[in-house]
Amino acid sequence: MRDVGAVRLWRDRAATSSASSGGNTLADLLVRAGRGDASAFAELYDELAGLVHGVVIKVVRDPAQSEEVTQEVFVELWRLAARYDESLGTVKAWATTVAHRRAVDRVRSEQSTRDRHDREIRNVVIDYDEVSESVETRFDTARVRRAMDRLSPIQRESVDLAYYGGHTYREVAVLIGVAEGTVKTRIRDGLIRLRDELGGSQ
Amino acid sequence: MSEIDIHHLGAAYALDALDARERAAFEAHYHECDICRDDVIQFRETLADIAGSAAVEPPASVKDRVMAEVARTRQLSPLLPEGVIDLAERRRRRRRFLAPALTAAAAAIVVVGASIIVTRDSQPAYADELAAVLAQPDGQIVTLADTRAGAEDGSFKVAWSATEGRLVLLGDALSVAPNDHAYELWLIDESGAHATYILDSASDGDVRAAIDLASQPTAWGITIEPEAGSPTPTGDVIFLGEV
Repeated sequence: MRDVGAVRLWRDRAATSSASSGGNTLADLLVRAGRGDASAFAELYDELAGLVHGVVIKVVRDPAQSEEVTQEVFVELWRLAARYDESLGTVKAWATTVAHRRAVDRVRSEQSTRDRHDREIRNVVIDYDEVSESVETRFDTARVRRAMDRLSPIQRESVDLAYYGGHTYREVAVLIGVAEGTVKTRIRDGLIRLRDELGGSQ
Repeated sequence: MSEIDIHHLGAAYALDALDARERAAFEAHYHECDICRDDVIQFRETLADIAGSAAVEPPASVKDRVMAEVARTRQLSPLLPEGVIDLAERRRRRRRFLAPALTAAAAAIVVVGASIIVTRDSQPAYADELAAVLAQPDGQIVTLADTRAGAEDGSFKVAWSATEGRLVLLGDALSVAPNDHAYELWLIDESGAHATYILDSASDGDVRAAIDLASQPTAWGITIEPEAGSPTPTGDVIFLGEV
């Protein structure tokens, strides 16, 4: 396969940012895991566990349930290992995507079995500040925090409620009382800004 | 949903902030749209960077449980590059499966669904069908729930529109059906369960089909049947979705 454009960009990033124990890249470990190598998968787990669990716990909140979801995510990564396609992004991005999707599925299926009116909407708004704080206590936050600070407060609120709150953009629109189209635009503008900020400082 | 709308859903998609209907419509679209695909790829890297700055190590017991689970979990086969699959063999197999199945289904009075367009060699056709179905005001999509206790084995979604007269079946990350068996979709309405899509062993983990819709469903079900198909369900209903 020839490296062109975005593909090369992500592959380079995978090579530079994902170097792991023994000189293996995450992609190497994943390829080996895809062939049934459980010890390679164990190494991969060590590299990705913090990332995956960090995403899951911020969405799911409950520690016991978060552990369950993190476990499900890794079993899913094991099952799908042979289907990882490098041209569609780095291993970290893939793991983050699987983790977030699982976490959101968990909270949505819980929500749908529960009454979710005024009380919960208030809780969500309160929780979201808490999330932003916990983000800032971790290592390597400076670059991300700088990028987050470049978002307008309303962009940040929409992105946070969607990503960490696990809400659809339509639900976010109801939560903050603006039109759906407005939320869609804020989310899009916010992510583009984050992408430009984080991409530019590599 | 208009074309213009769909190009702007990439960010919300990357955040998992679309409802099931929009998600399916966007997924059908973005594989064929370079701009949207690049957007999604880049947004996902951005989100991974943000997530990486807020890593939280799980307790060590989680790793033990994962590795124990891994030891008894079968992995899915890699996807084959397009064109590698032997189309002649696929057609031969399909004819062999289809002929007796349709005869049996016809004998059971009701046949729902005749034309079958399937899988990787016609992926764009299925994607277009899905977009067309979901573009209708009465376009719906349901995710079928896995009815086996504690089962964690792939997923089925059905999208359909009476106006369009079509349904699209999407099965992902499935185990391969046992030897000489295959997945079968049943449309359940007031008169009973009708064989609707017959026979895909999910040898590549996926099932893709676009089929004519001849009746209004009240529920959808999936069973595993002998590969010749069954006019009425004989296996347990392993996935079920009510409308």
